[in-house]
Amino acid sequence: MVTTRDLEAHFEFECRACENGHCRKADVETILSERKGLKEFYEAFKEHIRECKRMTYGQYMFVIDREVLPDAVLWWHNHPEFKETHMSTAVGTDERPLNGKFVYMPFLNVQVEPQNMDENYWVFLKAYMPADDPSFPSVAAKLPAALWIEREVKDLLGFNPVGHPDPRRLILPEDWPEGVYPLRKDMDYRHSPMAEVKTEYRETPEGTTLVPMGPVHAGIEEPAHFRLFVKGEEIVDVDYRGFYSHRGIEKTGEGRLTYNQVLFLAERICGICGYQHSVSYAMAVERLADVDIPDRARYIRTLMLELERIHNHLLWVGIAAHLVGYDTGFMHAWRIREPVMWLVERLTGNRKQYGMNIVGGVRRDILDYRKEEILKVVKQIREETKKFLDIALNTNTFIKRAEGVGILPYKVAKAYSVLGPTARASGRRIDTRLDQATKTAMAYNEVDFKVPVYKEGDVLARVLVRMDELFESLWIVEQLIDQMPGGDIMVPIGDLPEYEEALGFTEAHRGEVVHYVMTGEKNKVYRWKVRAPTYNNLPAVPEMLKGYHVADAPLIIASIDPCYSCTERVQFVDVETGKVKVLTEAEFNELSIKYRGVF
Amino acid sequence: METTIKVGFELVGILIIFLLPPYLDGIARRVKARLQYRRGPPLMQTWYDLQKLFNLPSVKPTKSLLFTAAPFLALASAISAALLLPYGNVIPVDFGFNLVVFFYVILMVSVFLILGGLSVQNAFSHIGATREAQLILTVEPLIAILYGVFAYNAGSLNIADIIANLHLTPSLVLAYIVLAYALYVESGFVPFDVAEAEQEVIGGPLGEYSGRLLGVFYYAIHIKRFALLWFFVSLLTMPWIGPINSPERAALVLALQFILTVAFYPIIAALEATNARLRIDQVVKMNVRMFFAGLVILGMAFMGW
Repeated sequence: MVTTRDLEAHFEFECRACENGHCRKADVETILSERKGLKEFYEAFKEHIRECKRMTYGQYMFVIDREVLPDAVLWWHNHPEFKETHMSTAVGTDERPLNGKFVYMPFLNVQVEPQNMDENYWVFLKAYMPADDPSFPSVAAKLPAALWIEREVKDLLGFNPVGHPDPRRLILPEDWPEGVYPLRKDMDYRHSPMAEVKTEYRETPEGTTLVPMGPVHAGIEEPAHFRLFVKGEEIVDVDYRGFYSHRGIEKTGEGRLTYNQVLFLAERICGICGYQHSVSYAMAVERLADVDIPDRARYIRTLMLELERIHNHLLWVGIAAHLVGYDTGFMHAWRIREPVMWLVERLTGNRKQYGMNIVGGVRRDILDYRKEEILKVVKQIREETKKFLDIALNTNTFIKRAEGVGILPYKVAKAYSVLGPTARASGRRIDTRLDQATKTAMAYNEVDFKVPVYKEGDVLARVLVRMDELFESLWIVEQLIDQMPGGDIMVPIGDLPEYEEALGFTEAHRGEVVHYVMTGEKNKVYRWKVRAPTYNNLPAVPEMLKGYHVADAPLIIASIDPCYSCTERVQFVDVETGKVKVLTEAEFNELSIKYRGVF
Repeated sequence: METTIKVGFELVGILIIFLLPPYLDGIARRVKARLQYRRGPPLMQTWYDLQKLFNLPSVKPTKSLLFTAAPFLALASAISAALLLPYGNVIPVDFGFNLVVFFYVILMVSVFLILGGLSVQNAFSHIGATREAQLILTVEPLIAILYGVFAYNAGSLNIADIIANLHLTPSLVLAYIVLAYALYVESGFVPFDVAEAEQEVIGGPLGEYSGRLLGVFYYAIHIKRFALLWFFVSLLTMPWIGPINSPERAALVLALQFILTVAFYPIIAALEATNARLRIDQVVKMNVRMFFAGLVILGMAFMGW
C-alpha cells in the first residue's frame, strides 16, 4: 500500500524499506546517511519533505510539496559536486483509485562519483496533487530536460505545468478530442476523433522559408516532422512534431497483462534495442520482488546486451554513411554486422526480439560448445571493423561531412540531459552500465572495460565514440565467455508486493533506458513508464541543427541514432459505411479474450 | 561511296548515342555492387528501369507547361550535344564553331532541370534547383576557360579542327587534368551529386517527377554524361593517332573511342563508390579554386608553354 496518511503532518517519516527488511528500523537518519548528498538535500528542504524512503538498493524517494518541485529538481541537477547528475525523466500517475490524488514524480540520476555503482543513486521527487487541481510549477523554463515530459503528462494525464514555455500538444494526435486523457484510470474509450484537426505549428520566423523534413522523408527512417526554417541553405530555427508512431504500450501494459507478459511487450518497444528494454523491465520487477538472480543468468544477459550493442553500432555507422551518400560504407557496415545476427539467432532462436528474458533470469542456457562460435564471430567482427574504419575514416569526403558538424556543447548536453554516445561525444562522462547499480541484473561489475569520452561534440566524435565502444563491447564479450559461471539460469519470483515502485535501467547503445514499474493488485502492473534514450536526445537536436546546412540535417538528426518509440488506440472502421466504431473497454476485453492466441 | 560511308558512320554514332548510355550506367551499377561485395543487377537493368518508367503515366502537380516540356527539351539538348561530337572521323552535325555550341547545348540540360524544378511548389525541388544552378554557375566558367586553352592551342573553335591541330605543351597536359575534373563535376557524379541528393533533398528538381517524364529526364541525364565522357575521350586520344584518312582507320578510331568510353566508366563508378557526397558550399569552394588554377593554365597557354 502506498501510504499517504502522513501527508497532513510535517516532519513525520515513514520508512517503507524497513518493512521489507532493507534496513534496521524506521530510522530516517540511517537512510539519509547511506549515500552522500541525501542528508544535505534533506537539510535544505526539510520543511517541505513529507516522507522519505528507500525504494530498493540505490533508489531513494522523497515525497515533497509540489510548490518546491522546481527548486528541488534544480538543486540536484545543478549540484556543484555531483557534476554529471541529470534529470532522467518524470512519471505522472493517476493514483485516484488508491488515495484520491494525482502524482507527478521527476527522478534524477545522481552521480556522486562517476562509474562507481555503489556510490551513485537515483532520487525520486514525488509530489501529490489534489484530484480537482492537478497542477504543478514547471521547471522547464530553467531546465530544458523537462520540456517534453511536462508536455507529456499534460497530454496523457491532464496535468497543468504552470509556467511551461511551450505548452503545445506533444504526444496525442492533432484530432484527439480535448479533455480526454488516456493514462487516467477512468479514461472513457468511446470518444471519437475531433472533426477538425487542430494543428499547432510554430510560425515561420520573418525572413526565412520553411523546409518541411517529414512526416515522411527519405533521410529519416521513421515518421518525424522537423520543420526547418532556413535562410538560403542555412538553418535558422527548428520546430519538431513527432510521436506519429505512438502505440499506447504503457496503457496496454497496465491492468490487463501479468508482469511476465508485459516483459514481452517491453521487448517490442524497439526494433533493434528490444533486449535492453526487456532487461530493464525485468530488473525493475526483480528489484520489487527483492530476489537475487543467478550469476549465470546475469552473465548471459550481459552477453546478449553487448552483442546487441555491437550490431546496433554497426547498423548506425552504416546509416550515417548512407546519409552522406557513402553507400559503400553502408553496405560494408551491414555486411560485417550480419554474422552477429546469425550468431544471436543460434543462441536465442531469433535474429531480433530474442524472447530470451524472463523476470528472474533467462529462458535459454548458452550451450558450452557455442562459446567457440561466439569467440570466432567476435574475432571476425574485430578484424573486419578495423579494416572498415581504416577505409571509412580515410575517406576524405566522409570526414569532410562529419567533422565540425552538429556541434553540441557540454553545457547544452547537460541542460537537456542528453544521454549515451551523444553525451559522451560532448564530454559527458556517463555510462549507466557502471554509474548505477546494474549488478543485480547484469554482470558489468565483474568485467573490465573503458568508457570512451570525446570533447569535440560533433558528428565525427559521435562516430568515434560508438566505434570505440564497439571494440570495448567485443572485449566484454570475450571476458564474459571466459568467466561464465555455472548454475541455474532462473529463479522463480512468486507474488509481487502490492503498490510498490522500483526502477530498472540499462545502457542501451543510444543511452540510458529506464523502466519505472509500480505494481498493482494480483501481480499486475499499476503504472509502467518507459523512457527510451531518444526521448532525452531528440529535444536537443534543434540545438544541434541551428547554424548548419539543410544538407547536414539528416546526418545530424541521425547522429543521435533516433528511435521514435511510443501509444495507439484500437478503432474498428466499418469499410462499407465508413463509420468509425470505437470499442468500449468491456468490448475490447471480450474481443481480446475471444481472439486470444490469434493475433 | 564517300557519302555512303559517312552516312554509315553517322548511323553508328546515332546508335551509340541512343543505346549505349543506359548500358554505361548498368556497368557503373555492377562495378559499385562488386565493390560493395554484392552481386549487382544485370547490365540491362537501367534499360529495364527506363522501360518501366516510359510505360507509366506521370503525376503532374502543376499546370505549368514548362513542367511537361522540360524533360523533353533536356533530352533534345543532350542528344544534339552528342551529335556534335566525332564518331570515327565523322561529325554528324558540323557547324564551324562546334565547341561553343557543344558548351551551350550541354548546359541546356542543366538549365531545363533547374526550370523543371522551379516550376513546382516544393521546397526540396527549389533547393535542388538552386544547388544545380550554383554548381553550374561555378563550374561552367572553368570549362569555358579550359575550352579557351584548347581553342588557343589549336587555333580553332571547331572540334574537328581542334583535334587535328593540338600540339603538346605543358599547359595542355594541365588542361586535360583540370578538364577531367570539370567534366566529372558537370556530370553530377558522387561526390558532386548535390542537386539530386536523395537523402537530403529527396531527388531535388526530380522530386516531383514521376513515370514517363522522369524516365525522359533520366535518359537525358545518361546521354549527357555519355556525351561529356565521349568528348573527353575523343579530345584525349584522337589528336595523337595521326591523320584519319581511310574508312578502315576511322573504324578503328571509332572502336577505340567506344572501348575507352566503356573502360572509363568503371573508374568513374569506383570513384563514386568510394566517396561521400560533398556539401554545396564545399563544391563551390573547390570549383572556385579550380577556376583560378584554370586562369593560370590559360596564362601559360598564352605564353606559349
